[in-house]
Amino acid sequence: MTKADVNKLDNEQLSALLDGEQQLTDQAITNDDVSTFGRYAMIGDVMRAEANNNAFNFDIADAVAEALEQEPVYADFANKTTAPKSEEIVAATGTDNVVAFNWRRPFAQVAIAASVAMFAIVGVQTLPQNTEAPQNDIPTLQTVPLTGMASPVSYSSEQPALENAQQGLRELQQQRIGALVLEHQRQARVAYSLEESQTADNAEEEKN
Amino acid sequence: MKVFTFILSLVLTAPAIASDENPAKTLLHDMATAVHTRNFDASFVVVKGQAMEPYRWLHAKQGDIELEHLSLLNGAGLEMVRVDDQVTYFEPHSEPYSVKTDSIAGPIPEVLFKDIDRLSAHYDFVLGGKGRIAGRSAQLVRIESKDEYKYNYWIWLDTESSLLLKSAYVNHKGEMLEQLQLTHISVTEQPAPMLVEMQNREFPAVLSTNDIASDSDGAANDWKIGWLPDGFKLLKSDRHKLDLNNELADYYLYSDGFVEVSVFIQRPLPGKRASGALSSGATTVYVHNGGSFDVSVVGNIPAMTAKAIAESVARPL
Repeated sequence: MTKADVNKLDNEQLSALLDGEQQLTDQAITNDDVSTFGRYAMIGDVMRAEANNNAFNFDIADAVAEALEQEPVYADFANKTTAPKSEEIVAATGTDNVVAFNWRRPFAQVAIAASVAMFAIVGVQTLPQNTEAPQNDIPTLQTVPLTGMASPVSYSSEQPALENAQQGLRELQQQRIGALVLEHQRQARVAYSLEESQTADNAEEEKN
Repeated sequence: MKVFTFILSLVLTAPAIASDENPAKTLLHDMATAVHTRNFDASFVVVKGQAMEPYRWLHAKQGDIELEHLSLLNGAGLEMVRVDDQVTYFEPHSEPYSVKTDSIAGPIPEVLFKDIDRLSAHYDFVLGGKGRIAGRSAQLVRIESKDEYKYNYWIWLDTESSLLLKSAYVNHKGEMLEQLQLTHISVTEQPAPMLVEMQNREFPAVLSTNDIASDSDGAANDWKIGWLPDGFKLLKSDRHKLDLNNELADYYLYSDGFVEVSVFIQRPLPGKRASGALSSGATTVYVHNGGSFDVSVVGNIPAMTAKAIAESVARPL
C-alpha cells in the first residue's frame, strides 16, 4: 500500500467520524491531522448551513492577521519622523511624546488616494483620424468612480484581438492619468505660496 | 412734493452707490471675513458627476490664532490641518508636509478666502437671485469668466452669517459640473475642543519656497507652450518624477489666480494612442499624442481649453 492510499483511507474514516457514522476511538483521534479535521468540519458546516439556511463560521481572522503582519506600512507617521527639520526637533526636545504626526490619521494605511480612484477610465473612445474634426467634438474618455462595482467595459465586437492588446496599454495610461491628477492636486496646493513669493520678488525688483 | 422726494432719494442713494461699487464683491469679502473669524463646524458634499465626496470642515479663532481642519471622509481619506499660516496635508501613501499659506487648498478655490479683487481683470462679479440652501436664506453670487476658456463659479452665501452654503462650477451652457453643498453648519461661541487640542500638536516643518520651486531632477526642457487663456501666469517649471508611477515629466504650473493648470510633457507610451479628454466634475485631463512626446493638461478648465493648450506645445527650438 502506498503512502497516498493510507492517507485516503484515513480521510474516509475521518469523514465518516464527523458525519456520525463511526465511533470516536483513541486510535482515530491520534490519526487525525488537526488541519484535516478542521477542513472536514468546515465542509460539514457548509453543507449543514445550506440545509438550515444559517451562515457558517468561516474563521479567516488568523490568516488575515498574519497577512497584515507581512504588509508594508505605508504611512506610519508615529514611528518615523519625516522632514529632517522635524527630526531635529525630536532630538532637541528628547522626548518621544512630542512629535505625533499621525494626528487623526487612522485610515492612512488604505492603499490608494481616493482622488486618483475617481479617474478610473472605463472605456477609451478612439479619436477620428482626420484632424479637421469640428472643434467641439472632443472625444471624452468616460470615467467612473471606483466606489462600487465598475461596469464592464463594452468592447467593440469587431476587433477583440486588438482590444486585448490594448488592455495593457490602457492600464499604463490609467496609471499615468492617476499620477498626473495626484501631482496636479499637490502642485496646486503650493500655487499660492509661489505666487506670493513671485509678487514679492517683483515688488523688490521694482524697488531696486 | 413728489419731485422733492425724488430729488431727496437721489441725493441719499448716490453716495451709497459710489462707495459700494459692486455688491457681489462686498458679499464675497464678507464671506472671506466670516470664514476667517467664526467658530463653525460644517459638513459638505462635493458632487462630481456620478461621484460624491463628503467632507467635514471645522474652523475656530482662538485669540489671534486661526485653527482649521478639513477632512475627506470617504475612502482612504485626506486630512488638511491649518494652524494660522501653516497648512499641513496628511495623505495616504505619503509623508505629511506643510506649506506656508493662510488657507487650505481644498475643494473650495483658495482665492475666495483671500483677495478676490485681483480676479477683476478676467472675471465679472454678478449678483444672482435669492433662494433657500441648507435650510437657510441664501444669496447667489456669480463669478463669471470674461472669456469662454474658463468655467464660471457660482456661490450661494448665507444672508445672515455670510458663510458659504453652496457653490458650483458652471459651464457656459449653464450646466453645473461640480457642486459643493453644505448639509449642516453650526456656528458656535466657543471653538471646538478638537481644534483647541490641535494647537498643542507639532506638525512637519514648512517647506520653503525654494524647496517647492525645486523639488526636481533638473530644469525642464525649454518647451514652447504656445497658447494659454489670458491671465495665466507661469508659477513654476521643472523636471521631476511623478509619485505614483515614477515616470519622469517636464512640468509646468500655471494659474490665473482662480484655477491652476498643470502641463506635463512625457515620453510617449508605446503603441498607437488616441488623444482624448477625461473629466471628473470640473477637472479635465486632456492627453495629447504629440508624436515623439505626450502632453497632458490637468485643471479645472473646459476640455476645449485643455485641448488647445496641449496642442500648442512645441519642441524647444
